[in-house]
Amino acid sequence: MIGQILIHLLFGLAVGSTVSYLTAWFRADVRLARIGRALFSLMAIGLVMAAAMLVIDVVQHRFEYTYVWNYSSRELPLHLLVAAFYSGQEGSILLWTTLVALIGVILTPYARRHQYETAAMSMYALILCFLTLLLVAKNPFSYYWESFAAQGITEADVPLNGKGLNPLLHNAWITIHPPILFTGFAAMSVSFAFAMAGLLKREYHAWINVALPWTLFGTAVLGFGIMLGGFWAYETLGWGGFWGWDPVENSSLIPWLVSVALVHTMLVQKRTHGLVKTNMALAVAAFVMVLYSTFLTRSGILGDTSVHSFVDPGKFAFWILLAFMISFTALGSWLILSRRTDMNVNREDFSPTTREFMLSIGAALVMASAVFVTVGTSWPVLMEIVGQPKVAVSIAFYDQVHLVLMPLIFIVNALSLLVQWRHTTRSVFVRNLGVASAVTTALTVGTILSGLASVPSVILAATAWFSLIVNAQTGWMLVRRSFVMAGAYVSHTGIALLVFGVITTSQYAERYHAVLVQGVPTEVGGYTLTYTGKEQIERHFADREKLRYDVHVSGRGEDRTISAILYWSDYNRRQSAFLEPGIRWGMMNDLYLSPKATELENVWNARTVQRGASTVNPLDSQQTITLERFTMPMEEGPAEDGRMRMAAMLSVADPSGGTSEVKALTLISTGAGGPGFEPVWTPINGGPVEVGLTNITRNNEDPTKSTGELAFRRQGQEIGTPREIFTVEFSVKPLISLVWIGVITMVLGFTFSIVRYVRLGR
Amino acid sequence: MKPRYLIGASVAAVLAVIGWFALDSSAVEYADLDRAEKLGKTVQVVGTWVKSEGMNYDASADVFTFTMQDEQGRRVPVRLQGPKPNNFEIAVSVVVKGRIENGTLEATNVLTKCPSKYEGQPSDAMQES
Repeated sequence: MIGQILIHLLFGLAVGSTVSYLTAWFRADVRLARIGRALFSLMAIGLVMAAAMLVIDVVQHRFEYTYVWNYSSRELPLHLLVAAFYSGQEGSILLWTTLVALIGVILTPYARRHQYETAAMSMYALILCFLTLLLVAKNPFSYYWESFAAQGITEADVPLNGKGLNPLLHNAWITIHPPILFTGFAAMSVSFAFAMAGLLKREYHAWINVALPWTLFGTAVLGFGIMLGGFWAYETLGWGGFWGWDPVENSSLIPWLVSVALVHTMLVQKRTHGLVKTNMALAVAAFVMVLYSTFLTRSGILGDTSVHSFVDPGKFAFWILLAFMISFTALGSWLILSRRTDMNVNREDFSPTTREFMLSIGAALVMASAVFVTVGTSWPVLMEIVGQPKVAVSIAFYDQVHLVLMPLIFIVNALSLLVQWRHTTRSVFVRNLGVASAVTTALTVGTILSGLASVPSVILAATAWFSLIVNAQTGWMLVRRSFVMAGAYVSHTGIALLVFGVITTSQYAERYHAVLVQGVPTEVGGYTLTYTGKEQIERHFADREKLRYDVHVSGRGEDRTISAILYWSDYNRRQSAFLEPGIRWGMMNDLYLSPKATELENVWNARTVQRGASTVNPLDSQQTITLERFTMPMEEGPAEDGRMRMAAMLSVADPSGGTSEVKALTLISTGAGGPGFEPVWTPINGGPVEVGLTNITRNNEDPTKSTGELAFRRQGQEIGTPREIFTVEFSVKPLISLVWIGVITMVLGFTFSIVRYVRLGR
Repeated sequence: MKPRYLIGASVAAVLAVIGWFALDSSAVEYADLDRAEKLGKTVQVVGTWVKSEGMNYDASADVFTFTMQDEQGRRVPVRLQGPKPNNFEIAVSVVVKGRIENGTLEATNVLTKCPSKYEGQPSDAMQES
């Protein structure tokens, strides 16, 4: 009850804070600003309380709350219980809102110090109005009996256990990836608030200096969060790669790309006082794209196009999200347009041989990437809106446009460092360009000699080398003076490394399909793979059967065991296993073992036959056998040491035209891993071949379509236990480490720059 | 007109053309089976797995086969190059990307939509207790 009241109260506080701050701004009223600040602090405290309450409810297994029941269970360890707090839609909105508020708490004194408090915080608090309203619509504190009142659930019915957390999420990544991603999202609100405040105050340059460290922070954190998602997909989910251009991935990438462009155009304005309107527009766009992403991924409209599953948020939340997005787009555009003549104070064309020109072009190219990704992701929705047949865009689209954009971005990036601000000395430029081009050519030739053949990849690699050389050279000179100055160059180097990782994994990766019979060495691509056996792990949990499949890998300098995991969980009623790849990490390459299927060796010449259908006797092709029906256990007499008897009635047709009836019997034992079948061998027509029943798959929808597995052997033939067959995809991913190293390097560069601009801002 | 607008507009136009061609060549239409057959090219078909017809994974050929039924109720055998997709058994619907050849939907990808039907339904444990 307290939780629900608290959520409503938070919305009230957000509105109160916004109104106070806004009035304080218009009337320049210090007293009202103090009230706005107090209300904001109260709201932040309230949000932390709400978050804490939800965590406590989850940890204490208070299943009377629908949310707690939906996303957690008694079996979860503490770190996953805490993570369950934001595993669902309601909780993740609460996490996002709380992070926005907490950043606001740090932002308030910062903004006050720069005389931006009332203007910026009124906009910031307005964002929180929408977020808290969203929480009112998606209240995480709804009671179970409220949610299911229609099904006749009353207050007395409290579930004994929750539904648990999707086993795919059972790992350390869920405790860090979402909070970091949402911190990045939350930080995007800051640049927006400062841009709006700049417009309100008619200060079109000062806000840049105030907002720059925050924009850098948001970009760095969001970039890191995106990478963690890719790492998670690679390491646990076994999607094979780290990036699939899935709508959910794209929707976090789009705001990141916009804010990358924004960082560069802000820098141009800082140095030249140009691009005033561009910066306003990009600050609005970066924030609105966060909202658009949220809308795309939370509204369920992309349901059929993503590997992520979406939950329909309900009409109310859908419209709030849409209104949220439209309102802020309208507010931003209106403020920019109403001040447009006012902003036209400094109009000059950049000369093409200046850094400001190159940075503007670079930012435009990055924005082009953002636009392409947005269009690609939204295409199914756009087509539906204009009444066309629904269309999805395949990964090829993103690859193709980026094979054009990335080389251009690298070239412009390198040129931007070879030229200077305002005016470039021709001789210096020519000399630097000459050196960089020579080194680039040499390295590109080396790359081609090492086997890179596809022309677009060679062009991409050449431009990445160009950018890498120029950045390393410039960065190295600056590092010796002060390493915080080198932030940008470190970041660019990271991007180049990332792209090299993308090239090596896409062009040089080896993929092999391997069918591994237990104990039998199988050779693929110079490696010898041997499936040595499986072992159950995490036995202390009753809700799962988690099996570790060990594969010994030798050859090409390797001699070790790589283990993949098959995970049967009560979460999906053990109907299908969750698969986790096994990875041998390395600087030079990763060996990646992705499970595909497991089955038992068909030692009995087994044939699966549907009721009413026929098969040819595999040991006597003259005979055709039809499965007429199954008998019931009671027809076959009493159970034998706890095992039921069942049989399949077969009719056997001989070439002579005669038919006879044979009963294929089995003994069924029941166990935790499903029923076990032991065939009772029966000779067919007194001949040399015996038949037995080794499996029955009941078809509940249509029992006449149930199937049986018939096994055949020669009379008296001894048959050993069937060995297990483990089918895998085994791949070698060269230099995939560059992807992670690249992103971490990029984030590190951002950190240097944040330190630098925070110092400058003091 | 200022040269910078001309340059900007022509660069934007070139990028737009590149984008359009990339989009055109990689767009995959959602279609039902009748339309998929008529088009004869790769499309995405939304439907369900016909449980009673079973499924099979041939490990040595790395081919997964099952029968799907589209939203119009038409059925077709599906041959997927690759293993059984994750959560196939519990999926409430499947999105199959492929083309129809000789009456078989030759698939390159099968997306499974996990049951959100469980969301919003009280648990079984509850109903039994």
